[in-house]
Amino acid sequence: MEYPFGGYIGQILRVDLSRKKHHVEPLPKDLARNYLGGLGFAARILFDELKPKIDPLGPENELIVATGPLTGTVWPTSGRFAVAAKSPLTGVWGEAHCGGFFGPMLKYAGYDALIIQGRSEKPVYLWVDDDSVEIKPAKDIWGHNTAETINMVREIHDDSQIEVLSIGKAGENLVKFACIINNYYDVAGRTGLGAVMGAKNLKAIAVRGTHGVKVSNEEEFLRLAAEAYDCVFKEERLDGLKYYGTSPPLIDMKRLVGDLPTKNHQTLIFKEAEKFGCKAVEKYFVKSRACFACPIRCKKIHKIPSGKEGLIMKASEYESTCAFGPNCGSDDYRAILEANTLCDLFGMDTMSAGTVVAWLMECYEKGIVTKKDCDGLEMNWGNSGAIVTLMEKIANREGIGNLLAEGVYRAAQKLGRGSMKYAMHVKKMEMDLNDGRGHRSMGLTQATSPRGSCHMRSLVVVDQGFAFKKVATERYGEDKLPEICDPYAEKHKALAVKDCEDVYAIRDSLTMCWYACGWPPAFWIDDFAAAAAATTGIKEFGDVKEMYLIAARICNLRRAFNLREGLGANGDTLPERILKEPIPDGPSKGQVVNLKVMLRDYYELRKWPNGKPRRKTLVDLGLEDVAEELERLGRI
Amino acid sequence: MAKIVYTGEGCTGCTACVAACMYAHDKEFGVGASRIWIVKEEPVTDHPIVCVQCAKPPCRDACPVGAISKTDDFVLVDEKLCIGCGACVEACPFGAIIIHPNKKVAIKCDLCSGKEPQCVKFCPPKVLKLHTPALAPKAKVK
Repeated sequence: MEYPFGGYIGQILRVDLSRKKHHVEPLPKDLARNYLGGLGFAARILFDELKPKIDPLGPENELIVATGPLTGTVWPTSGRFAVAAKSPLTGVWGEAHCGGFFGPMLKYAGYDALIIQGRSEKPVYLWVDDDSVEIKPAKDIWGHNTAETINMVREIHDDSQIEVLSIGKAGENLVKFACIINNYYDVAGRTGLGAVMGAKNLKAIAVRGTHGVKVSNEEEFLRLAAEAYDCVFKEERLDGLKYYGTSPPLIDMKRLVGDLPTKNHQTLIFKEAEKFGCKAVEKYFVKSRACFACPIRCKKIHKIPSGKEGLIMKASEYESTCAFGPNCGSDDYRAILEANTLCDLFGMDTMSAGTVVAWLMECYEKGIVTKKDCDGLEMNWGNSGAIVTLMEKIANREGIGNLLAEGVYRAAQKLGRGSMKYAMHVKKMEMDLNDGRGHRSMGLTQATSPRGSCHMRSLVVVDQGFAFKKVATERYGEDKLPEICDPYAEKHKALAVKDCEDVYAIRDSLTMCWYACGWPPAFWIDDFAAAAAATTGIKEFGDVKEMYLIAARICNLRRAFNLREGLGANGDTLPERILKEPIPDGPSKGQVVNLKVMLRDYYELRKWPNGKPRRKTLVDLGLEDVAEELERLGRI
Repeated sequence: MAKIVYTGEGCTGCTACVAACMYAHDKEFGVGASRIWIVKEEPVTDHPIVCVQCAKPPCRDACPVGAISKTDDFVLVDEKLCIGCGACVEACPFGAIIIHPNKKVAIKCDLCSGKEPQCVKFCPPKVLKLHTPALAPKAKVK
């Protein structure tokens, strides 16, 4: 029978690797209605199906790949999907989001979501060909990098149009920040979900789909989609992304406002940063590529002079450029691209990898580790050769790489000698390349993000770089000015962070790209509501209030997941450096983050006294069962 | 002779055209039953493939049941006559005709039957164009 709502397929594929079995379940209507899709599905399924305190690398953990109602339609930037599991890096809620083409293909094969449970004895890959699902041996593919894996799987099935999720050496070797790669360089990067796949002995998931996605209100959907494309075409603020990609414009902006984490966040000014700016890298540009149905095309291919031919590589995104560049004190663009490419091939998160290397460099600078400790590598700031070498060592867990592969928190714990002071992490996840001292709301974002330090869950844009007064007034009211637009003020930031967290929960459930709503005024929650209603035919989705309700449900559920694991307000903090060490130079000179004030406001807005949801907060969202479980465990 | 042309530069491989094409014909967004597809090779190749509406179509000549004909404007498959044997798929030098995975008949670009071709409409970098004889002198082909 056809699913009553448009956009959805109406089926979930569940695969048990231990028992080598799979079956198809109907997508519960109330799951679609109350949790929207993608992230929402994953939050509900993981809370229901995982027992607290399980080993993230054990067979009890589940890997969820979930799409939303918009995934696979031609709505701009909707070709995304969410991956979630209990994270081996943080030991709590783990989620990552990815572009590329896998999400749409999963839906075309006939599934809104994929649940992988159990653990295979031997390396396998999953082959989903419409209705036919097979768990196939991956003996010959195991050990190959992610690009080779994609090519080999496509060759085995003699079809270049198959979409593949794969892990590389890092995932196989259970590097705590291993990632999952789709389409060579589209990455579900953070929280170490590649290690979850590796622990399950699952090398790849390959999908081919010949069906399609229907929409409920065709006329309205096509009209809105056309308008959405127009909006992206006309939006000048997106031009930087279209022509240069994510990295050069952001580097240019952040180096001017003094918000570029440098030398393991010792300062926010990097003198050589101009070398990564628009003007400097323009000459390397070869080609733009895009994820499914995306008019922004932020993926850039660069050609770096080298030998006769030159090296052609995917240009790194902002976070990766900053992680391997300024934050490691390096101005070597080619080495940054090489490290970035190696991370893609080995299947490692660039942000975490860059941050652990920066930590090692600072330990070296402070005399905590010696050249001998580092396998003979001189870990001076900016030693780009060492950075590239370490990528290989981490993925293969060789020598010092074995320590770094545990992530910065565990590495500092093992090393001791006062190195924890330099471990830049939140909830055990390495910091992204942003700093609350130069962009205050970012401090609260990183501290409260359920998956550990992360800029994507609630990144407030209106208080940085450009003057966004008009948008800030529209969203939060004129009385919130000027503080709401002031990068160095704590006041009203909780309001903006909470609002963004809600909107982005909807974005990740639909599932759309961050860049669709990143630079205002592209899309915001009213656009999402209209698109969701037209696609699904569920009228209530058209109401912004209903969208906020669903968002609050998802945010509370993620919080409940972490509380059940014993992580509440104690995890909502920042590294000591961000809280106490003033920035020494540049426009942000003298700044530190007063997190307490922002956290107090944030908890009040969320109705989470002391960081714990009230029973009533949960019941009002229809999460009575969640409240009961947390009460039973004595967590609230 | 009208046809869809690629300007030769600027395809990002996003496949919006592919999904839009399938929607125009099947009312479903998908890639499995589309009449346009994209060759993608690492590191820099993205190239749309679609019927060039040959003057002497090999698919027509190969069809054993006469289901493919050439009108003034384009090459057309009569789905009622088609037996899904795939002879046309073998004969096409471009890979621009396929067997519909569910309907099991040959499908190829029909220029959206005279309406606005949806691949052209939805192409985000606007590098697909409808080339018609009247427009030919003006069409910019890089």
